Amino acid sequence: MQRRNRWLGAGILALASAVALTACGTGFNSGSGSASGTGLTSSKKPLTVLIGSSGPAETTAVTSAVASWSKSSGTGAKVLAASNLDQQMAQGFASGKPADVFYLGTGALAGYASSGDLLAYGDKLSNKSDFYPSLVKSFTYNGKFYCAPKDFSTLQLVINKSLWQAAGLTNADIPTTWDQLESVAKKLTTGGVVGLSMNGQYERMGAFMVEAGGNLMNADSSKATADSSANVTALTFVKKLLNEGVMKYASAVGEGDGGQALGAGKAAMTVEGNWVTGELSSDFPTVKYTVAPLPSGPAGKGTLVYSNCWGIAKDSPNQAAALKLVEQLTGAKQQLAFSKAFGVLPSIQSAASAWKSANPALVPFLDGATYAQGVPASKGSAAVLTDFDSKLATLATSDPKTILAAVQKNLQATIQ
Amino acid sequence: MTATIGVPPVVVAPRPQRRKFREHLTPRQMWGNAIVYAVLVVIGILYIYPFLIEIFTSFKTEADATANAISLVPPTWSTAAYQQLFVNSAFPTWFGNSVIVTVFVTAGRVFFDSIAGYALARLQFRGRGVIFAGLIAIMAVPSVVLLIPKFLVLNTIGLYNSYPGMILPLLVDAAGVFIMKNFFESIPASVEEQARIDGAGTFRTFWSVVLPMARPALVTIFILSFQGSWNELAQFIISANDPNLTTLTKGVASLASGQLGQANRYPLKLGAALIMTIPVAVLFFVFQRKIMNTSDGAVKE
Amino acid sequence: MTTLASRASSGRRHHDGINRGQARSGWLFTAPTLILLGLFLVIPIFMALWVSVSDWNGNGSPFTSAVNFVGLKNFGSVLAGDGLAEQNFGESLRNNAWYVILVVPLQTILSLFLAVMVNRQVLRGRGIFRTAFYFPSVTSSVAITVLWLFLFSQSGAINNVLSWVGINGPNWFNEPSGIIQDGLAGLGVKSGPVFLTGNSFLGVSWWDWIGGPSVAMTALIFMAIFTTSGTFMLLFIAALQNLSGEVQEAAMVDGANGWQRFRFVTLPQLRPTLFTVLTLGLIGGWQIFDQIYTGTQGGPAGTTTSPAYLSYSTAFQSQNWGQGAAIGFLVFIIIVLFTILQRFVLRDRKVSKRRMRLYQLKPKPQELPTGGDA
Repeated sequence: MQRRNRWLGAGILALASAVALTACGTGFNSGSGSASGTGLTSSKKPLTVLIGSSGPAETTAVTSAVASWSKSSGTGAKVLAASNLDQQMAQGFASGKPADVFYLGTGALAGYASSGDLLAYGDKLSNKSDFYPSLVKSFTYNGKFYCAPKDFSTLQLVINKSLWQAAGLTNADIPTTWDQLESVAKKLTTGGVVGLSMNGQYERMGAFMVEAGGNLMNADSSKATADSSANVTALTFVKKLLNEGVMKYASAVGEGDGGQALGAGKAAMTVEGNWVTGELSSDFPTVKYTVAPLPSGPAGKGTLVYSNCWGIAKDSPNQAAALKLVEQLTGAKQQLAFSKAFGVLPSIQSAASAWKSANPALVPFLDGATYAQGVPASKGSAAVLTDFDSKLATLATSDPKTILAAVQKNLQATIQ
Repeated sequence: MTATIGVPPVVVAPRPQRRKFREHLTPRQMWGNAIVYAVLVVIGILYIYPFLIEIFTSFKTEADATANAISLVPPTWSTAAYQQLFVNSAFPTWFGNSVIVTVFVTAGRVFFDSIAGYALARLQFRGRGVIFAGLIAIMAVPSVVLLIPKFLVLNTIGLYNSYPGMILPLLVDAAGVFIMKNFFESIPASVEEQARIDGAGTFRTFWSVVLPMARPALVTIFILSFQGSWNELAQFIISANDPNLTTLTKGVASLASGQLGQANRYPLKLGAALIMTIPVAVLFFVFQRKIMNTSDGAVKE
Repeated sequence: MTTLASRASSGRRHHDGINRGQARSGWLFTAPTLILLGLFLVIPIFMALWVSVSDWNGNGSPFTSAVNFVGLKNFGSVLAGDGLAEQNFGESLRNNAWYVILVVPLQTILSLFLAVMVNRQVLRGRGIFRTAFYFPSVTSSVAITVLWLFLFSQSGAINNVLSWVGINGPNWFNEPSGIIQDGLAGLGVKSGPVFLTGNSFLGVSWWDWIGGPSVAMTALIFMAIFTTSGTFMLLFIAALQNLSGEVQEAAMVDGANGWQRFRFVTLPQLRPTLFTVLTLGLIGGWQIFDQIYTGTQGGPAGTTTSPAYLSYSTAFQSQNWGQGAAIGFLVFIIIVLFTILQRFVLRDRKVSKRRMRLYQLKPKPQELPTGGDA
């Protein structure tokens, strides 16, 4: 069928070209509307699962999980690793043939949801109450819980053990306040090593904003709060560390991110998410590290949380099966398997204790779930963050207030 | 008739040869020559050394690649990058797709360009001038401007995510038609007259009499099309999102931008880039004389 | 011409029949090309026009009643929105303008230089040099970009070479600072005067407009010169061989030295080729996409975005299709404007012809400009 259609399409070439314009768009089908009792589409069509994979480990794990579901459910399903997830989803939505199930970040939710690309299936999930409430909030848009959180990550302080000991520091010196962070960073900074290194972007430094009691937007991304004095305090602190030379961006030490700077021995501490464990064990298997909670700021503990959910396309001809698949993939057993394979944190509370006993050294990451805040999720906020990141690159020589004022203006524009 | 890749070819008429001064070199001229050689050798190294780095780094281990970025011979030879590429990645699929697209685009362009070029050069028909003017105008439209609407068109006519969708837009080649037209105009008309008198139809005349004479121009189109479609990226980005339809350019670009994992993996990326370069390099060396004979042709005469 | 002349001899009735047959064949032969052009060039232009004035959000077809006409809103937000869209567009223009300003003259000069060098009759091994210089031009921009990312990495070959002469090389593809601003900073000027930093155009301050390409963009500029100089070198070689040898020799007899012969005899005759090379360079320069998609994705700090890449990312990644299409049209307009401008600047000037005639007709050695000894 598919094949025939394509050749038919090729045949249209022979027609006068203007006709093609009005040819009612065979490519833009409006989705099959066969609604069953649940209001979900259902058909025999196999599912396509599009993932933005972090590497072979994740692709393999998801592929085998989906395959085993497919086997037990009798519904065909294949996993595709996107080379450029945003672009491929955008093309999929525009062509009316998006992947049925796909990774969806908090930043992309508002855009897709407001365009009517997504199925808001959250309330139909049988394990809905098991998800962390903060994550459910992250994937709620206009009052509707859109999609099941796939997993999550938080930022914490990661320390290179050998550099730490070389500087004469012990576990008792692990910083719990900004002042302590500054003083250990000073001690750790030597000729070829910088005390603290991380990516110069909001997705890392935002943690300091939360610790100072601020963030770029309020919890449900309905109001921009970028120019708050707490945020100015946070950036001023980071600027001070940069100018003292005890902190450098990962790019400034020639590494792609803080984890690589830490692994390569160029930085003694970094602020990174739990994915760093996979990166370190594969690229720098001999490096020993410790994970500690981020030090408290003026407003206490704080960190950022990231999450993806399993999006289901409104245009999917088999939403019912997609929902079943997502329920399976977000179950405790499967999430723990994913966590083992590629280092993510399970998004459901019932898996927490099993995870903690399996990963005692990484507990601070999971504990972060209770006090972490999300990143802005209004439509178009991703572009604002990109612009913010580019301004943060020159934070050492610019005025935090000016930078935040621009972010405030741009973020406010995203919610009008 | 000579050709250069990437730009409309230039016709080099044989010139009476200039006087040679080689026989009477003064010491001053010899010094001058030595300096020219030295300069050219230095620039030549600058142009070639990066490719040597590419070749040898692909056989290094990852740690070596970063530690000794400029040295050539790897301390320990490693084919890990190639094993990863061919065994554990979709690289073979990408390569296959590139081959498919390149074969069809090249064949299609050679055929369509030559028949259209012939019509514009030799056939008298109303509208010829308009068509020709249109072609010239269209050559001026930059292709990157059309990324979004090309996607929309492919989508509307149902060719999105299909080989025809990847291939057909690349068959548009106003420059190629232009080259063929110029060439056919340089063939004496008496050849076709004889065929016509013998009662051959237009297509017969074109196919069995004129086309065989057009070999030099056809080779030009062949080279341009092969290289153009093998190296194309933007068109493949907008015409498909199915991983099974990923071509080399798109696949290697995704490797390079780290979308498939965060580590540097330089040997892997350089190995992929190297393999991707081989077919055009072979094409280049096979047709080197043809591409490069801009001067030798003139000198030999 | 010969076709017409010979056909006239073959009788009138026969002539008509041929004409009718030729009309049919003519259209038939050009039909595939015309249809493809119409479908993938002409229609897309109109579709893009519609999308650029619509509020299509990327869900389903843009040609349904759910999609509304919004006038010039998309163009407005890109050109005068006082928001992020305007700033991004301004930055991409700034980046690309610097790219063109540096790449076009440098690649033209280098390729002309290489052509003249390689074209010397006395030079042995010309073929090898030509091959070496031309080879980068045949490889794909994706492959070259991958190579470039490695060469220009923090511990890459370029920084290795720089370290030999005691320079601590930058982390090229991660360095967003403009090279002119870097130079000024080296002289102690850390921030620009208020009238430059205080005023802005398209959301980018004047100080940033004149700040030069970022270090990352500079690496891409080197790459462009590396990959295109070979192609243009071949064009120049072909043109050099087409030059009239007599004029050269007349000038030589006149006692003009090598540079004078090049400047006043060769160069004026190369004007058409020079024009071609500059036009192609300019058109190509405003279309950079592959390198950015593969290498930098616009980073660091948005200093390597080009309008072409911005058009793509706005539509295909941010799902802002209308704005993306609008940017596409603006790129088109820019290219057309620059081509016209350049045609105007490089229009044939009488003076060069007069000078050529000088050599051809009236050899007067004393009128030669004296710039060195022959």
